[in-house]
Amino acid sequence: MLSCAEFLVEFGDYLEGAASPEVRARLEEHVHECKTCQVIVDTTRKTIRFVTDCDSFTLTADQVEPIVKDVMSRIREKKP
Amino acid sequence: MNLTSAAQYEPIGPYRGLVEAYGFVPNLFTGQQELPRVIEGEQRLIHAILVREGRLSRQLKDSLVRTVASARGSDYCRALHAQKRPRDTEEDPALLAFAHKLANYAPCVCKHDIVALRAVGFDDSIILECILTVALGQLLCTLATALRPNLDAGLPVLASIESSRLPEPVEWFAANGPYLQPSPPAASNFQPYAFFREEFGFVPKLFQEQTLRPDVVDAESQALAQILIPEDLLSRIVKEQIVLVISAANLNTYCVAVQSQILATLGVPLEDSDQIVEDHRCAGTSPAEVALLDEVRKLASWSAGSEGRFETARLRAHGFSEPQILEAIAMAAVANFLNTVQAGLGAVPDFPPRRVFTRKDLYPSASPSRLTFDATPPDDHDATAVARVQGGDTDAFEELVRRHSRRVFGTLAGLLGNLDDARDLTQDVFLKAFENIGHFQGRSKFSTWLTSIAINTGTELLRQRKPSESLDQGEEGDEFRPRQIQSWADDPEQVLAASQRSQLVREGVLRLPEKYRVVVLLRDLNQLSTEEAATALGLSIPAVKARLLRGRLMLRESLAPHFISVEKRSPDAQLR
Repeated sequence: MLSCAEFLVEFGDYLEGAASPEVRARLEEHVHECKTCQVIVDTTRKTIRFVTDCDSFTLTADQVEPIVKDVMSRIREKKP
Repeated sequence: MNLTSAAQYEPIGPYRGLVEAYGFVPNLFTGQQELPRVIEGEQRLIHAILVREGRLSRQLKDSLVRTVASARGSDYCRALHAQKRPRDTEEDPALLAFAHKLANYAPCVCKHDIVALRAVGFDDSIILECILTVALGQLLCTLATALRPNLDAGLPVLASIESSRLPEPVEWFAANGPYLQPSPPAASNFQPYAFFREEFGFVPKLFQEQTLRPDVVDAESQALAQILIPEDLLSRIVKEQIVLVISAANLNTYCVAVQSQILATLGVPLEDSDQIVEDHRCAGTSPAEVALLDEVRKLASWSAGSEGRFETARLRAHGFSEPQILEAIAMAAVANFLNTVQAGLGAVPDFPPRRVFTRKDLYPSASPSRLTFDATPPDDHDATAVARVQGGDTDAFEELVRRHSRRVFGTLAGLLGNLDDARDLTQDVFLKAFENIGHFQGRSKFSTWLTSIAINTGTELLRQRKPSESLDQGEEGDEFRPRQIQSWADDPEQVLAASQRSQLVREGVLRLPEKYRVVVLLRDLNQLSTEEAATALGLSIPAVKARLLRGRLMLRESLAPHFISVEKRSPDAQLR
């Protein structure tokens, strides 16, 4: 069976669903047996979910229009 | 080995080093007998690397040279280094595989290759010796390719082999050297350093990083003293230009940067060197010099004969004498040697490079199946609006700003950590995009192109504030080991409110080192694909994947304390 270190090497592709079927089968065999890697898989997936849902780095709808207006007025000012 | 004594050994004498190396004087060198000083320089290197006892056996070194000879299709060098005795030691597959990569795909060698060698037990002095031997193999093959000597009596006649070209896509990793641990500093009176300071005005890092083998650094300085410095045949400038052309053909950013600077100290403007790097035929040099540079370029180790045979007759027709042609060949051989050493060591440029070679240069005419930064035009729903703006319809740009301002803002906010800065720069990004939209050729999605402008604009501001951190730093060789390995609550969304979670994520993302942060931003916040993120960042796909995983795991570490399930605590859990 894979070691945890070997599992972590392939972990990125596993998360992305990009591992080949053979590799995926070996990774799943490891996860099935290894409580530690089960935790790592589960908590990393939750982390990704939090980041994906995070709204700390987004503009609200009412913040978008002022930017559009400013950009376009600066472009039109520059235009001969 | 003492760093001050290496320079003081006695001259080897005509051909003595060659006889020690081969048991006779090979035709490869008798063919250069009109230029004894060049032979002297070459045998210095051969003696230091091949003959002098180091960590690798002579048999293994011969195998390494044969690996290079196979890559370059040099039957002569394969025969010259054929095994004379039965093998008494096992050839090491890891070293031979590395030699194969360095000989075939030098621009693609990266820190991971060195880490892999260390992982199977090789220390830096062995790795350095392997790199030097491969570089020597390139020097010998360059000479053999140009001089085409007859096989010496007694050497085995081997079946001819095709030189191996680039059969498959090869990943390009951003330069992330130096690969070896820092070498012991040389003593202030180390003679080769005095030579480099005298001739170049500085000691190139390429040599500073080889001080585990001061005898080789000394041999290198003496080879340069014999081949590069004398001006009785070709001028110093022409010879430096030969090194520049070879370095450009080998896609060696370091050597191009150093050569351009050395040429500048000799009075050649940097712009002229830039032109030689791009296309020496347009550099305004004389027809004879163009012919000379044309021919030596064919000897670049990366070309490996793909640009045609080296034609001495053409050079004679331009008035070059036999000794001048021999000197040009020897100079090209030394250039390939130095380029290979650099590729193996990953020495970082002593000067800011004016030309950085990238994967685009590796496959200038990539096939559609091969992923490149300029992949086939994707289906881009912005294409119509972009075309209208390019056609002069300014109003069409308004829709693009509206469509993408959140993404641009999000990228900048995550990169900078300051929302006001992000808002200001968002406007700057769109202004830059508008000014440059005429150059956008639709090879990537407009949104990817815009994201790359946002990243460049944001990192430029960060550079002004924190000049030490760089997005270009490569991956660390050591693996990241998760430390927080306790279960989280089954439904962590119930543990903290959305606003609190967002705050934690924001703080965690901003604490990530920049190179991981930006990849997490693009992939997980902006939802770019791995390929799009690689394009926007100018990174290879494996580099993006590695940084993304590292960033996600680091972020997980910082979030874990807030979500650990009390009931599920398992303090004994650990990685196996």
